[in-house]
Order: sequence, then C-alpha cells, then structure tokens
Amino acid sequence: MSGAIEFARASCWYGPVIALNDVSATIGPGVTGLLGPNGAGKSTFLKLAAGQLKPSQGEVTVLGAPAWGAPEVFHRVGLCPEPDAFWDGLSGWQFVTFLLRLSGFDDAEVKRRAEAALAEVDLLAAKDRRIGGYSKGMRQRVKLAQAIAHDPQVLLLDEPLTGMDPVNRHRVVELVKRLGREGRTIVMSSHVLYEVEAMTRNVLLVHQGRILAEGDVREIRDLLDEHPHAASVRARDPRRVARAVLDLPEVVSVEFGEGGESVVVRTTRPDAFYTALTEVAEEAGVHEVFSPDEDLESVFKYLLARRGGAR
Amino acid sequence: MSAEAKPLPPPVPFLRAAKAVFDLSLEEMVWSRKSLVMAGLLLLPVALALLFRLVADLKHAPAGIDLYGLVVAMYYLRNALPLASLFFATALIADEVEGRTITYLLSRPVSRASILCGKFAAYVVTGLTLTLPGIVASFFLLVPIRGFAGLAAFVPDLLRDLGVAALALCAYGALFALLGVLLKRPTIPGLVFLIGWESLANLPGWLPRYTVTAWVRSLVRHRPVDEGLAELFQTTLPTGEAIAVLVAITILGLAGAYGIFSRKQFVLDQ
Amino acid sequence: MPIYDQRYRRYEARNPLRELRFWPITREALKLVIARRAFLMLLLVAWVPFIARTIQVYVVTRFPEAGRVLPVDGRLFGEFLSGQLGFALLVSVFGGAGLIANDLRTGAILVYLSRPLTRVDYILGKLCALLSLNLFVTLAPALMLWIVAVSLAPEQFATLKLLWLPPAIVLHALVIGLAMGLMALAVSSLSKSARVAGLAFAGLFIGLEIARGVLRGMFRTPETGLVSLQGNLHALGNALFGIQHRFFNQPWPLAALALLVMAALSLWVLRARVRAVEVVQ
Repeated sequence: MSGAIEFARASCWYGPVIALNDVSATIGPGVTGLLGPNGAGKSTFLKLAAGQLKPSQGEVTVLGAPAWGAPEVFHRVGLCPEPDAFWDGLSGWQFVTFLLRLSGFDDAEVKRRAEAALAEVDLLAAKDRRIGGYSKGMRQRVKLAQAIAHDPQVLLLDEPLTGMDPVNRHRVVELVKRLGREGRTIVMSSHVLYEVEAMTRNVLLVHQGRILAEGDVREIRDLLDEHPHAASVRARDPRRVARAVLDLPEVVSVEFGEGGESVVVRTTRPDAFYTALTEVAEEAGVHEVFSPDEDLESVFKYLLARRGGAR
Repeated sequence: MSAEAKPLPPPVPFLRAAKAVFDLSLEEMVWSRKSLVMAGLLLLPVALALLFRLVADLKHAPAGIDLYGLVVAMYYLRNALPLASLFFATALIADEVEGRTITYLLSRPVSRASILCGKFAAYVVTGLTLTLPGIVASFFLLVPIRGFAGLAAFVPDLLRDLGVAALALCAYGALFALLGVLLKRPTIPGLVFLIGWESLANLPGWLPRYTVTAWVRSLVRHRPVDEGLAELFQTTLPTGEAIAVLVAITILGLAGAYGIFSRKQFVLDQ
Repeated sequence: MPIYDQRYRRYEARNPLRELRFWPITREALKLVIARRAFLMLLLVAWVPFIARTIQVYVVTRFPEAGRVLPVDGRLFGEFLSGQLGFALLVSVFGGAGLIANDLRTGAILVYLSRPLTRVDYILGKLCALLSLNLFVTLAPALMLWIVAVSLAPEQFATLKLLWLPPAIVLHALVIGLAMGLMALAVSSLSKSARVAGLAFAGLFIGLEIARGVLRGMFRTPETGLVSLQGNLHALGNALFGIQHRFFNQPWPLAALALLVMAALSLWVLRARVRAVEVVQ
C-alpha cells in the first residue's frame, strides 16, 4: 500500500532521549487520529512528517519526496503546529497573507485564499485585530487558517482543538471531517480519545515512542468494553444505588468509597449499568458520576497489559 | 487519489521568497521595542550635537570636522554600529526560534537561503535607516559650527563615511548572523568579541589585521585623538585591501551562516 | 494507638522564612544561573585578574625595585575593582538579563505574585541573586587580594594608615553590584527575551560610556562623565582609593548623585513593569 505519508523504520533522538523508536507506518487519504498520552512521541511524529526534524534513522517520505530537506513538498502540505506562537505584532489577516505569499501566490490569489480560510474558521470579522489580543481559541483557529489556506493535500494538525470553546470545537471538527472526505490526508494528534473519535475512526496509538496499535477506534472501544469499566457514583444514599445495580449480570464488583458517600461499580457493560443508574438516580439522590479510568493513560495501560499477556 | 499522481512544483523562486521574508522581517524590526532601543543608541549623537550647538561656546570649540570625526570614528564605527549589528544580526534566526515562529517559515515551499537572505536584507535596511540619517545630521550640525563656508569641501568625507558605515554594517552583520545560528546564546561571545578581541586593533604588528574594526577604521580619514592606546599603535591598512576584506567577511559570514542554518534542526521548547 | 488529627493544617512558616520572604526567589535564581556550565566558566575566568595581581604583589614584595614599574599600594585595589567592572558587566548580562524577562515570558511572575509575596519581595529576591553574583567577581577577589597582600607584606598593608582599605573595598563593590544589578533588572523587566534584555543592557552600558567620550570631546569638561554608569563608578572608586585619572575625574559627590538618579530610574521602571497581569492592546 502506498500512502501520502510513509515512515520506514524511522527513529528520532533528542540527545540521549529517544522520542520515536523504529516506527513504520503508512498513512493514506482521510483523517487519521494520532492518539497517545503526553510525551508519547506524537509531536515528534508530526515534526518528522512536516520536515521540521530529520530522522536519526530510517526514512520519512511525504507525497513521494523526503520530508526533510525538500521545501517543494510544502506546496501540498499544511502544518498547524502545537506551540501557541505567533508574530504577535501582526493581525490575523497579515499573518495568513504573509504565509500565503511565502507559498508563492500572487496578490489577488493571496487575498482570495486568505479571505476563504479566515471565513472557514470564523475569523473574518476579527481579521484586522492583532493576534496578540486574540483569545486562545481564536489563536488556534488562525493557526488552522494558515494551514488550510493554500489548499494542501496533506494536513498535519498538532492538537488543534486545545483551548477552543464547544461551538468552535464543533465547527473545526466538521471542517476537518469535510476536508478528509474530500480525499486529503489529514493527521491529527490528540491525547483526548473523544476528540479523535469525533473526527475519525482511523487511529494510530503512540506510546513511549512506538506505534502501539493502529486501526478502527471502535476496536479500541471494544477492547475497553472487555475491560471492566469503573464508574464512581456519589449519592445521598449510595447503598440504594448498590442494591439497584447488584442484580445486573454484567456488574463484576461493587465497592463503597471512603466515608460511605460513594460507590464504585465495575461492569463489563457500561450501557446497561448507566440505564439502571438513571432509573434509581432520583430516589438515591445521585449528584455526581464519573469514570476514574476513562482517561487515555488507562486505555494504554490496559492495551499494554494485554500485549504483555499475549506474549 | 494517488499520492504521487502530480509531480511537485519547484520551491518558490529565491527572490520572491526572500522579498516576502524581507517584508515581514522589516515590519517586525521597524516596529519592535528592540529597534526603539537601537534608534536611541544610533541617533544619540544627533541629540548630543544639538545640545552642543545650543549650549557650547562655539567660538572656542574644537574644529567642527574634528568633532564630526569623533562622532563617526569613535561613536559609530568603533562602538555603536558593531553593537547594533550584534543586537540585530544575532537575532535574525534566534528571534524566530525563541518565539517558536520558525516552524511557520520552515513549513513553506521556500529555500532556507531565501529566509536568511530576506532577513539579512531587512537587517541591513533597518540598520542603514537608523544610522545614515544620524551620520548626516551629525555632519550638518557639527561641521559648520563656524559657518557654512567650506562645508562643500567635506561632503566627499561624508559620502565616504556613509559608504564605510554601510560596509561595516554588512561585515559585522554577517559575522554576527553566523554567531547567531552557530550558538544558542550568542550574546556573551559577541560582547567578548567586541570588547576583547576587537581591542587587538590597537596593538602593533599584524594583530590589527585579525580584527574587523582595524579594516573599517582604515577606510575613514578621521583620527580622533582620545582613543587611548590607539594613539600609540594605530595602524592604517590599504583602502583597496580593506574594502576587499570587509566584502569577503560579509560573503564568508553569510555563507557560513547559511551552511549551518540549512542543516540545523530546531527543537523548540514546549 | 494514637489517632492523629487529619484535618487541614495551615503551613506556618518558620520565623526566618517569614522575615526573609525574598530568600527562596534568590536561591532559585542562583540555582538556575549557576546550573549553566558556561556561566561557571565565566565566574572562574573573572578570577584570573586576581591571580595576576597576586603575582604582582608577590613580585613587588620580593623585588622592591619592581614597585617603580608596578607600584603596590592602596590604589592597587581601586584599579583592581575598576578592572573587574568588565566582568561585572558580563555577569549582569549573562546572569541578570533573564531574571525577570524569563518570568515575563513564561508567566512565572504570576506564580510568584500569587504567593504571599509582594512585588518588593520579588524584586529584592532577584536583586540579591544578581548582587551575590556581582560580589563574587568584585568583592570576593578584592578582599582576597587584600588578605594576600597583608599576608605577604604585613609591614606595608597591615598598617593603621591603610585601615580604610577593607571598608573602601566593601563599599565600592556594593555600589558596583547595586548599580549594575538594579539597571540590569530594570532592562530585564522591559523585555520577554533574556537575549534582547542582555543586549539592551550591554548597549546601554557601553552606549552611555561612548556618549561620555563624545561629550568630553565636545565640551572638554569632566562633568560630561556624569552621563555614564561606568564613568560614575570609576569616579567614585577613584575618589575612594585616591586615584588620579585622566578621563574619569568628575567630582565624586556629583557622580554619587548621578548613580542615585540612575538607581531611582531603574526602580521606577521595575515598579511599572513588575506586574502579574499584562494588558494587550
């Protein structure tokens, strides 16, 4: 299979620290989520794909050309970097138009594309304000605008949703999904599972500099579903909650929390549990429900444990 | 859709890319607080000359051309210009790395040479914009302190000084641009170079030839008396050789800076 | 089995900490600066003149005729301290430029000022760090040189006539450290980049000195030296150690006043710039 982005046994060291370790991956059209906890190597993966770093070993190619040392590839690659960094003295309009000029467009084309890109991210009204005065969400969006303005075939997005409010988050998610449907190759990194799920089913799981798994995000969900799901319920009468869920065959354990004010339920079928919980919620005075293991770190711990067990 | 279906177009032409970088860098340099500081440093002699015209007893003052010579040779060429170059030229790439904006420049279809040259051109223009008016204003404020008669005779000196200032700005700029891409913290080595190494220009023998300031100083005709050791050992080097050396320093400095910049990976602080 | 009180307990700072609230800031700033190997090298190199002067004192005590070329008396210490000004500049640029600029860039200033610390504590903490570094390259080698001189030639240096030397050394080193420290901190607070702040401070220090040279050429009066920080420090040192100098000969009370004005200006800048919140227009 030939993809727009190819990693062939690529490794990257920062001095003595290995950031990416012997990674091979092929990424084709559509949206691919790069999922991993902080420090897993996601940003290094994207920097290698964007030609910002040279692989210490192996090869990284984008659109058939080596990513490092081939500036021509950026005619077709857009990068939305993670750092919240700008030339703060510039307005949003100056920022996007300058970068478009660097992509080689003439003045009329620069104007047309800048307007279209800023409209896509809903920043046209604020285009003449200095970026230094933008909110965090606006800064994220103007970064995205410069990445898409030259209509790239490959789009690399490093944690693009950070700091966005729900409305703009939804807008950006829809935009990325649409760009993916148009046949572009989009790689989006995140450490938040539901952010990636909202955009794509196709994920690459990165952990400690290696690709841990790749495929459909639903498969990960299924794996998680096999793993007993923990839910902590705080209620006025936690024993009432315990009585209501204890009869469910999928509940594997019930444990009372410190002080007897909460109950932790482990179940292999979270959906059945939450249905039962809804029925008893009012009567038991449920005021807080959260899952202590829904963070990505626990997903990785679980997958690593499975891999260890499979050996 | 096949990834390799369409061949990639070549990078954006050098001059076009350099012009775009130049425009941005000029905007950044001209309106920065840094430039305000440098404007203060480079235009200070104008304020001092004005003060002198207003306050001093001009009848008993030294000859105007000597005072102007002091400003050009001691203030601009020996101190302020090298310092301004250190300030601006070490920052050409370092500012982008520190501000983490280098990623935007390096993810466009432009060569690294065009980025460096665009930035260097912006530095030269900013430096000249701040320096040349200062020299011209100092000339017209100081030389005719006892009247305008004979002023025309010194105009060739002024033109020569402007040329030397431009050449010095380029040579020091290229050298410090190299230092800026070579070292993560170029300030102290740069200052040590200016305060320490450049003092070799005041020693006898061949030592002045190893400094930039001796070549620059050889190109101007003014010889200020208050230069300490320079009175004892001041060396004047041949004009043609001096111009050739300064041009060579500029070219080699820029080539070296490009050689390092083109291979450098920038691992930005998170 | 004893059952301990598990409730939240307020941290009661020990007495010294309450009184010296700035001390943790000083300690951290020093730790960060000294962790850089290049800076340690600079601190070591700054002691090279001490070795040279020690050799000078030794040679003159062994061969008194050498004293005609390299005289050894109270002025030696003034000249030594003036010579160390260059190192004080480098130390202030290297160690001081980032002290506030880096906090402004990373937002750490907000973290500092959200503790039970006032702006005065913050500035004092940073100033003490820079002052310590400056004293390490001025006061420490100068006092050490005096001890060496007294040990090598007690009949010459351990006399009532030269009893003023140690206090003069301490006073001059403190004036150098405070003046350089305050100005370096003020410039550091004007930028978010340690590099820019360092260059700006060096530019100011050198720029004022060359302005002095130009003004002297124009007006030919010693008072022109008052515009230069370096010139005023030299003038004060010359007065303290009884040195006659060709250039730095402005009246010492005026030099002291000029230094006070410079320090007041630096404090004014620091007062305006050290804030937890920055408003972007």
